[in-house]
Amino acid sequence: MLNNDDVSGKIVACCLAVLLVAMTIGCSQSTPPPAAPKAAFNKIPAGQEFSGFLKDYSALQPNPNVESALTYVSSDAQKNLRSYFAIVVDPIAVYIATDVDETKISESSRKAVTNYFEHALKNAVSDAFPVVESPGPLTLRLRAALVGVDVGGAVPAADLPPDVGPLDHPLNIAKLRVEMELVDSETGERIAAMVDKSNLGAGAEVGAEYFSRVERFAAAREAFDQWAGRVREFLDSAHTLTGQDAERADKAYKPYGAATVSK
Amino acid sequence: MKKTSSILCTLLFSAGAGIGAEISTFHAYVDSDVCSRLMLGPITSERIGCSQQTHKDGALPVLVRLQDNTVFDVNKQKMLKEHVGKFASVTGEAKAQNGTMKLESLIPEETSSIPQGDPARRLLDVRMFRAPSDKVFEKIRHELAMMPYITTYDFISFNMVGSEVILTGWTVRNTNRSEAYNRVKTIEGVETIINNIEVLPLGSMDNQIRANARAKLQRVLSRYFWGSGSDIKIVVKNGDIILLGTVATKQDSDLAALQCNSVPSAFHVFNMLRVESSAARQ
Repeated sequence: MLNNDDVSGKIVACCLAVLLVAMTIGCSQSTPPPAAPKAAFNKIPAGQEFSGFLKDYSALQPNPNVESALTYVSSDAQKNLRSYFAIVVDPIAVYIATDVDETKISESSRKAVTNYFEHALKNAVSDAFPVVESPGPLTLRLRAALVGVDVGGAVPAADLPPDVGPLDHPLNIAKLRVEMELVDSETGERIAAMVDKSNLGAGAEVGAEYFSRVERFAAAREAFDQWAGRVREFLDSAHTLTGQDAERADKAYKPYGAATVSK
Repeated sequence: MKKTSSILCTLLFSAGAGIGAEISTFHAYVDSDVCSRLMLGPITSERIGCSQQTHKDGALPVLVRLQDNTVFDVNKQKMLKEHVGKFASVTGEAKAQNGTMKLESLIPEETSSIPQGDPARRLLDVRMFRAPSDKVFEKIRHELAMMPYITTYDFISFNMVGSEVILTGWTVRNTNRSEAYNRVKTIEGVETIINNIEVLPLGSMDNQIRANARAKLQRVLSRYFWGSGSDIKIVVKNGDIILLGTVATKQDSDLAALQCNSVPSAFHVFNMLRVESSAARQ
């Protein structure tokens, strides 16, 4: 017969053994994922005002509510911004300036800016348009591009904290602008678009994969947050009720407090 | 070894006890999920009729705490089934923040057994509710009507008991829940707000039902839909469709329900549409 202490000891030993095996299997299976293929960089066509990322620029108009931006909102009664309430955010595209040597821009540089901006965009829009993983009904697809990325001068090692590795070539975002469109995630039909020409990246550079505390990199982070914030500003302004729409919405809204229901 | 085990158990139990909410007992009205979120005002025979009818049609039973009109989804719905449209004293772990309750016991009671002056009596007294003609009531109504992100798939309603505003309804966007609260709290004359607005899950099946229902209604009742909004609201929750808003005639109301009944994958249609002639009398 085994006493209680023996039994407890054996159970604990068994549990530890199972845990050890599970950890060993887990560790042995954590092989590094295959390296992602290097994305080709898009270049702004020489002499062109826009990058070509959007399908059509002809309907864009200055927006009094969003300074330095050209915008478009579909006025179709059945398919407009108000017909949707969720968003799929596509990976961010990068368009480098016409005269930039693309071999100087590494994959890690591209990832540094696109990851940060994608994250900032999701943060900015998610409480108004919940971000979902896959397309579906009532869901928009947000396509966005950073246009006009340039290569900056070398980053002195002293400018970076010891634990942060510099990029081969820092990215200069002084002349960056954002092009964005929202399309029906199922049909691809365009619902809204925006070209943001605001000069928010002046004096800012991205020199490390993880934006550091160094001033000009912090300025870059701030600029990306502001660009994302302006996308939200645009969405807010497009949803604000004005004129006849406001009158009709006001007239139509009757709370059910103490109301009679027609059954 | 025994000592180690008992110390571990004690630690686990004490941590668990710290996380749990407190057990409380309160007076409640057993309502249906649909009617409790519609906020049909004081608990009159009409409200009781709504609760029982919608429950019979498939709406889940919930508890409404009488002292503040907070709606609780409970874990043991079977305990409520027999009591929909009735009052009860309930005991359990209630979490007002997320509107859930672990129900332990339910004792049926009559409203006459609730003492005079008890805060639970407020919702039973019609005189405590502000009339829609009241200035503060109208300000709240206007503020909520102007909310930018309200769509055909959201419905927000409210009522006022003294200086307390009870917000209720369903929304597909979290931001609408907080926006409604923030807009109302700045209005002079409002002291406290109970926020019963439920944020709906965005399941792909429900979204498909929303899109199909809207397409069907827009095809036959297009005059109730315009670019930035609609007179008819389509609330979809776990496959159920709740039709809300105001239409001109009983025929339109019936037609809307008929259309929604043919939406694939929809389980129930609760037609809570108001007909203009009767709504105008309010």
